[in-house]
Amino acid sequence: MGIGRSEGGRRGAALGVLLALGAALLAVGSASEYDYVSFQSDIGPYQSGRFYTKPPQCVDIPADLRLCHNVGYKKMVLPNLLEHETMAEVKQQASSWVPLLNKNCHAGTQVFLCSLFAPVCLDRPIYPCRWLCEAVRDSCEPVMQFFGFYWPEMLKCDKFPEGDVCIAMTPPNATEASKPQGTTVCPPCDNELKSEAIIEHLCASEFALRMKIKEVKKENGDKKIVPKKKKPLKLGPIKKKDLKKLVLYLKNGADCPCHQLDNLSHHFLIMGRKVKSQYLLTAIHKWDKKNKEFKNFMKKMKNHECPTFQSVFK
Amino acid sequence: MPSLLLLFTAALLSSWAQLLTDANSWWSLALNPVQRPEMFIIGAQPVCSQLPGLSPGQRKLCQLYQEHMAYIGEGAKTGIKECQHQFRQRRWNCSTADNASVFGRVMQIGSRETAFTHAVSAAGVVNAISRACREGELSTCGCSRTARPKDLPRDWLWGGCGDNVEYGYRFAKEFVDAREREKNFAKGSEEQGRVLMNLQNNEAGRRAVYKMADVACKCHGVSGSCSLKTCWLQLAEFRKVGDRLKEKYDSAAAMRVTRKGRLELVNSRFTQPTPEDLVYVDPSPDYCLRNESTGSLGTQGRLCNKTSEGMDGCELMCCGRGYNQFKSVQVERCHCKFHWCCFVRCKKCTEIVDQYICK
Repeated sequence: MGIGRSEGGRRGAALGVLLALGAALLAVGSASEYDYVSFQSDIGPYQSGRFYTKPPQCVDIPADLRLCHNVGYKKMVLPNLLEHETMAEVKQQASSWVPLLNKNCHAGTQVFLCSLFAPVCLDRPIYPCRWLCEAVRDSCEPVMQFFGFYWPEMLKCDKFPEGDVCIAMTPPNATEASKPQGTTVCPPCDNELKSEAIIEHLCASEFALRMKIKEVKKENGDKKIVPKKKKPLKLGPIKKKDLKKLVLYLKNGADCPCHQLDNLSHHFLIMGRKVKSQYLLTAIHKWDKKNKEFKNFMKKMKNHECPTFQSVFK
Repeated sequence: MPSLLLLFTAALLSSWAQLLTDANSWWSLALNPVQRPEMFIIGAQPVCSQLPGLSPGQRKLCQLYQEHMAYIGEGAKTGIKECQHQFRQRRWNCSTADNASVFGRVMQIGSRETAFTHAVSAAGVVNAISRACREGELSTCGCSRTARPKDLPRDWLWGGCGDNVEYGYRFAKEFVDAREREKNFAKGSEEQGRVLMNLQNNEAGRRAVYKMADVACKCHGVSGSCSLKTCWLQLAEFRKVGDRLKEKYDSAAAMRVTRKGRLELVNSRFTQPTPEDLVYVDPSPDYCLRNESTGSLGTQGRLCNKTSEGMDGCELMCCGRGYNQFKSVQVERCHCKFHWCCFVRCKKCTEIVDQYICK
């Protein structure tokens, strides 16, 4: 073990100075009581939990890693703590979490996810705190279920540490009350109208359609949406023969408000995925050519190629 | 009396010749960092000829496969580190004696320990070359082409880039065994027996890596789900390879060379060794005391565990000679806490610990 390399962050350095001054009053020349492990640009001794991997590197968080580029630090360890080995793989896997981030289901969602997808560069891996994982999971899994997802194996909370050397926001922020459930908008209807976000969502969805809506009704706790004038942008799991009689569901959405459905007279962009035998709606936007952001999206969509795991993996 | 003097001289020359023949080993590539492939462009021939410890056949392979040499060095290093881990609490602890022969004269003896070092070093090379293929570092090989396992669920994908353990195994066989195959000793001689022993142990090491490679998978569906899963062939953790070879070491078979030039069991009641087993032809030397002729460094000055009754205990480690006790001060980080964003602050704790050293 011995004494490790020591560099103070700003806050820590300030505290260190105060302590040093205090110590100086008592005994001149006493050694520093604290040891700091700060940013490491060379992480040679880094011991990943995984036995076999590329040597870890500290790299810039790229601007197009949208999940994490504004998380609060600028560099990350690659391979990350989810065993993603290349930046392309990190981006591809992180992109499907961006829509969840935009749901604001918990204040600590980004810090939690990025501690794994884009781990901070220190001399050893630092995992998120178990309590943060549990708080994010408990707040966000209900939202994920609207999209047919459950909390994944790779984020199971019981594998994260309970001690002090773990990543979290300061406790007060993490315990802030979540929004009252009564006023919650249907998550698939609560979307940011920004071209990058829509593109990200398109890539994370299995199918996408331009269509009109014939009718909306309740069925078994879901909103059942009967489309008409369907034009596929991305078919995914939908077979062409099934397209004609396609019916979409807003999962668990029988009673939550969805302002896009207030007026059915125009076209919609609808994205979704198939779960068992149901086609679930994961995002809905009014097809609004006059909206600047939507127009940008239409332009980008023509050239944009979604990353696939196969392309990432080679 | 003159005839006795002549015999003595002949014996001495024979011994010296053997020492010269076996003094160096390719394991020394682990201790002298091999230059990156780019350095070879300057002049292939001189660089290969300057690498220490290569046999003539290995030197030729170096010229043909220059870019592989760095990874052979890595493999040897991995093997030595693993050896030092597996024997860390033993009287002989796989310490490296010098840069040329690496382990010193101890390896002249065809002992169990020699068997282990040959196996684990060969295993290290298979490991390093297989991985280098996967990483695209070598022009003559790439991802593994192993066929999809029959018991893999149908909806899982077989793809990705697997460790090329087939290539690693074949190349390690060519390179590591070259040193043994180019020797020409009389059939049934002790020297030939030693060559056969080395070939068997090299093979056992290679097979350990080859057989322990297994399927690894990743879930890469949307939001981390396992709706999409891709699998590939992956090397086992090298510690596990070391553990397996250590088991083989513990159950190694004592052999002797026959007049027909084959190895046979000293005790015919035991089971015939398989190609995955370690074999030895000489009893292990006493590792208790320093002995220049056997190359034993002895256990004087070694740390031991006062409360243990195993090999690392003071009674056994010190061979009954006793031990000295002294106190040392250790400074460690303690009470660490992560602060946003982003550093870890620790206190420094000092602890006085007792340590025991063999007399």
